Amino acid sequence: MSRPIRSVAVVGRDVSAWLTALALQRAFGRQGVSVTVVELPSALRAVDAVIALPALEGLHRLLGLDESEVLAACSGVYALGQQFANWSRSRPPFVHAYDSQGAALRQIPFLHYWLKARAEGLNVALEDFSLGAAAAKHGRFIVHNDATDSFSKARNGYHLDAQSYVRLLRHKAMAAGAQRVAGTLDRVARTPVGVASVTLNGGTSVAADLFVDASGPDAVLAGRALEVPFESWSSWFPCDRILAASGPRLKPLPAMSRISAFGAGWMGMFPLQDRTPVVAAYDSRRISDEEMARTASVLAGMALGDAVVSPFAAGCRAAPWTGNCVAIGEAAACLEPLDAAPLHMIHLGISHLITLFPVDADNLLEAHPYNEAVLSHARNLRDFQIAHYRLNERLDESFWDGARAAEPPPGLAYKLDLFAARGAVALYEDETFQEENWISILIGHGLIPRGHDPQADAMPREEQIQSFQRMLGFIAAEVREMPSIEAQLELFAPPPSSASF
Amino acid sequence: MPAPLRVVIVGGGTAGWMCAAALVGAVRPGVCEVRLVESDEIGIVGVGEATLPQIKEFNEYIGVIEADFMRKTNATFKLGIEFVDWGFKGSSYIHPFGVHGKPMGGVPFYQYWTKARQGGRTDDIEDFCLPIVASRLNRFDFPTTDEGGINSTFAYAYHFDANLYAGFLREFSEARGLRRTEGKVIDVTLRAQDGHIAAITLNSGEVIEGDLFIDCSGFRSLLMGKALEVGYEDWTPWLPCDRALAVPCERTGPLTPYTRSTAREAGWQWRIPLQHRTGNGYVYSSRFISDDEAAATLLANLDGAALDDPRPLRFQAGRREKSWHRNCVAVGLASGFLEPLESTSIYLIQVAITNLLKLMPARTIDPALVEEFNRLVDVEYERVRDFLILHYHANTRDDAPLWTYCREMDVPESLRRRMSLFQHRGHIHKYGQGLFAPPSWLSVFVGQGLRPAHYDPLVDNLPYERIVAEMDALRDSVALAARSMSDHAAFVDDYCASPAAVRLREGVAS
Repeated sequence: MSRPIRSVAVVGRDVSAWLTALALQRAFGRQGVSVTVVELPSALRAVDAVIALPALEGLHRLLGLDESEVLAACSGVYALGQQFANWSRSRPPFVHAYDSQGAALRQIPFLHYWLKARAEGLNVALEDFSLGAAAAKHGRFIVHNDATDSFSKARNGYHLDAQSYVRLLRHKAMAAGAQRVAGTLDRVARTPVGVASVTLNGGTSVAADLFVDASGPDAVLAGRALEVPFESWSSWFPCDRILAASGPRLKPLPAMSRISAFGAGWMGMFPLQDRTPVVAAYDSRRISDEEMARTASVLAGMALGDAVVSPFAAGCRAAPWTGNCVAIGEAAACLEPLDAAPLHMIHLGISHLITLFPVDADNLLEAHPYNEAVLSHARNLRDFQIAHYRLNERLDESFWDGARAAEPPPGLAYKLDLFAARGAVALYEDETFQEENWISILIGHGLIPRGHDPQADAMPREEQIQSFQRMLGFIAAEVREMPSIEAQLELFAPPPSSASF
Repeated sequence: MPAPLRVVIVGGGTAGWMCAAALVGAVRPGVCEVRLVESDEIGIVGVGEATLPQIKEFNEYIGVIEADFMRKTNATFKLGIEFVDWGFKGSSYIHPFGVHGKPMGGVPFYQYWTKARQGGRTDDIEDFCLPIVASRLNRFDFPTTDEGGINSTFAYAYHFDANLYAGFLREFSEARGLRRTEGKVIDVTLRAQDGHIAAITLNSGEVIEGDLFIDCSGFRSLLMGKALEVGYEDWTPWLPCDRALAVPCERTGPLTPYTRSTAREAGWQWRIPLQHRTGNGYVYSSRFISDDEAAATLLANLDGAALDDPRPLRFQAGRREKSWHRNCVAVGLASGFLEPLESTSIYLIQVAITNLLKLMPARTIDPALVEEFNRLVDVEYERVRDFLILHYHANTRDDAPLWTYCREMDVPESLRRRMSLFQHRGHIHKYGQGLFAPPSWLSVFVGQGLRPAHYDPLVDNLPYERIVAEMDALRDSVALAARSMSDHAAFVDDYCASPAAVRLREGVAS
């Protein structure tokens, strides 16, 4: 006889705990599965922000979260991509927009025509052929129409205030029926293969058929209690500290994140409606926390308050789902807050857990496919991040020289070699970022392929020039008609008159 | 513009002419200069071919007009493959080019079907799949493109005479300037410095140089196997069939819009309906039956008079360790052989062509392109391999040693996991790219007798009455849509009757 899952305990905090609880409650609550969040003290600070890829919109829809409500409650701003500045000494900043570049001509991808034109002297950046990048640089919001949809794949992600987002998620999850107990963790009772119960200081004990470890990098269940090994990725990620701070609101509001490299790491600015969260990842052996706080202010060009520092170590759990315990978010894999990866890891964990929600508590065959998919996604995301480091051109700075010299993982090395040869992207199973995203960052960081598809050579020069001009003209005309990010937010997500949560 | 790439295609079967047609039909003039060498003395293996829906994309891509091509190749439409006696004696299921029902609440339909079965309903999953129901009624119509409409839930492929298809593509290619040379390759010259092929020598004495050689020489693999000595990976332990006998017979009875594959004592028999005759063959393992017995079995199981003596073929399941090596790309049988159980031969030719066009080299071939081509082709071969093995492995037949062997053999880990997850909870992982999609796996899993022990818990979010009502409504709309289609024979006759079929209809012996 099989034993269905009747109870789930989500042990953890913040976005990973409450997003998971809301998703599980919505998916399985109606059929009597009880979802209890054992909420550990928050690790969030007032300065923190949540950075989302466009994929979050789909998850929100499934969870019944209205976009305008989320943006209004979380001081949210649309993000059309991320701009990378100072990753090279000689190269101007580039935008990784969540969009494609140009349109295929005669079934040959645009990139090859661009490479050919570039070799012939064209001096227009690839991103200038991207509607999303153009809109991002002009602080615009893309209102889609048939013409834009046939030319571009543009979508937008978000910047959200983290504490507000958690309040919203908690409210929605509890309104949907999730239970909550809060406190600090005293002990975990194990079964031979998993977790039996968790007990909080003060004596409250929660038992469940299935546990979710949503406790962040601590991984209190998967790591501390079940001792699932942690695979370190630090040889590719030299930063060991993250500093978070916040500055005043930017005017006008940018439509993208801005990621700037400096001598000992990188710093990101993630504009919100009412303030500008700043995050810096750095190597503490090269810069002290105090110096980092001062440097961040200088780099951001604004006074920053409330700087807080936390340790960071990239890596993953060897088996995020072990026994009856499923790790989600940073408990499963820790990635730098670059490329909106941390929130997306949570999203991936939730999607796979819902697809593979166990049918028999005594026969958890779902663990293997979950682990395979989540880790494979995590490694692909990791490789996307490593590509930034590997391709940096900050010559003669030891931090960056080291990042350039670090041998990339084999899958990434292969990808970089193929792209360098020919501008083709080797896509694997379980990729978060698609061909256009890889092209954007690889070209952006200056990895210009040495060859292109010879089929592009068959187009007469005049015809190619005209096609290019048509695309540029189209983009310019569309961008002129787009509303600014501020105008769109005012229309669509006016801040609530009073805090409702 | 750089000097054109000199491409030399060796061999003119389906693979050779598909390569040629793609290179002259879809590639802009001036990019490459294509020659094809073939010998009329060497027969081609093509024996009445069943295809997958992707062939339609290929034809459209190079600019073939469908009705014209069908008329000239005696083609009929194909909505799927019927498998008879595979999982167990007396069983019959169809692997369709379409889906079984539509998802509800993001959950595949068959998960609801599983719950209904556990609730005591006896519905056949096939009743919810339009191409299957249409197949059983011998009906056909073109799918529509309206999203969500029942008539948009399927695709189709063709059965055609592969000799005629090669001839059709030859005509197509030559009309677009392809240079064909009659002759046999008697020598292959390798460049001393890097072992690339410099030239081939024909029996006429002509020496043909090239930058890129495409080996379409079939099983002989003249360039890749013989000249470049690329090894062969043997998959016989999983796919034990190593011989086939092929014979056409008279067309009798209704024109089925599907291929039939009937499991036999030592292999399986194909039946491919063409306009003017029916192609048949027995694919078998020589370990389990003699050639004479196999011939007798085949001839005893034709649905019309045999039109020829059975023609023997020998093969070894597996593939070349590389499909592209140095400046040589192997396409078709020269690159590997997987039995035509799921009509994948032409699909694999297409995969090679598509990837070659995507990774089209310059005169100096960048090794990164070669590596990527092989990576992409590897993935496809391995997936098709797993899917084929499933048909043999998931059986409960105890009437013949071949079937016991296949049931008890070790299968690749990737397949074992897929089977156990399906049996556990009906989960079918969807590949990011390539064959086969979950509906294909579903039809074979269920058809071969596998049943999930559990259904996806999300199913419980819909009230049982609602599930049952949806199923009833769906079954009715599928049945109605199938009955509204034309008779397949009449449709073919109207759309693309071949001269041979017309003669047959008018009672003239062909």
